[in-house]
Amino acid sequence: MSRSPLRIAVVGKGGAGKSVIAGTIARLLARRGHRVLALDSDLMPGLAFSLGASAPSEPPLNDAAERDEDGRWRLRKGIGAFRAVTRYSTEAPDGVRLLEVGKVSGSEGRAPIMPAVQAFYRVIHRLRRAEPLREWTVVGDLPAGPRQTAFDWAPYADTLLLVAEPTWKSALTARRIARIARARRDPPAVVVVANKVTAAADRSRVARMLGEPVAAAIPADEAAATADRLGLALIDHAPSSPAARAIERLVDQLLDSRLPVVSAA
Amino acid sequence: MKIAVAGKGGVGKTTTSGTIARTLARAGHPVLALDADSNPMLGISLGVGPEETDALLAARQALDEGEAEHEPTAEGLVETFGTDAPDGVRLVVVSRIDRPDPG
Repeated sequence: MSRSPLRIAVVGKGGAGKSVIAGTIARLLARRGHRVLALDSDLMPGLAFSLGASAPSEPPLNDAAERDEDGRWRLRKGIGAFRAVTRYSTEAPDGVRLLEVGKVSGSEGRAPIMPAVQAFYRVIHRLRRAEPLREWTVVGDLPAGPRQTAFDWAPYADTLLLVAEPTWKSALTARRIARIARARRDPPAVVVVANKVTAAADRSRVARMLGEPVAAAIPADEAAATADRLGLALIDHAPSSPAARAIERLVDQLLDSRLPVVSAA
Repeated sequence: MKIAVAGKGGVGKTTTSGTIARTLARAGHPVLALDADSNPMLGISLGVGPEETDALLAARQALDEGEAEHEPTAEGLVETFGTDAPDGVRLVVVSRIDRPDPG
């Protein structure tokens, strides 16, 4: 079996199912023998639930950044990307490591976790080069909308999983994200995932609204909704549910590179 | 009244905002609906349709890319970056995405 690392960022509109898909993919790839780093760059609660991990109580990366003489942020002396990941990530099931940008609790006042945000941004820009992280599979969960893609928050990604529901809000958002991603110097492969599909026609509907082929369709699934409501990982709560099975097939496709990838325009 | 709607992605901010705006307009209030989301979608929930929703964003971006002059007045902003939604609601997009503020 090939263990070449995959580097994936999951993007899309709010509520499209990014965290559930990212968390499930991370767990499945770990079970298939990958060393997996799951990234959560949302300042609001997210990926930990869908991974089945307990989130760190403090933004751990707050200790990892410092300012230089000119006041510019950098990783603290003695902390490279690998040390930052090993020291400040937390353990998730199946051996996945979870690195969070840190969560805003709302009680700290303005910009309380700026060091963590700065450290996280620097670490993710080194994932493709730093040993041994370059051998790790990376699954990143981005916050809703196009903003982080525009700010280069998925520089590690060879593949952008564009998650869209069969709604116009979701499709227009996905279109915008794809447009921004393709403006990157080395654009990632864009893979469209239709989520919460109820009818056979939904899949082609998403393709039509986006103007892009759909690589995988995940059915609307009460088990997935329930897992989310309970704050549980889909793969723990309902591993044989239709949605979990569909994500499993998507993982197989990703591993086999059998996806209809929309090449960079 | 002046209302701001906030919350996590996917909880229904836009649907709630759009429905409140239309309901208030039907009750006789003159309503200005401001879309300050970096991913402006309020047009969909107000009922102006996907094409017009996307066109509004394009108008806003033309400004960022230096292809259009900025409007110096609030009235001008409402005119240039807005559109008429049903029930007399005026929708104005006040956000941008492709060229977010640097830093």
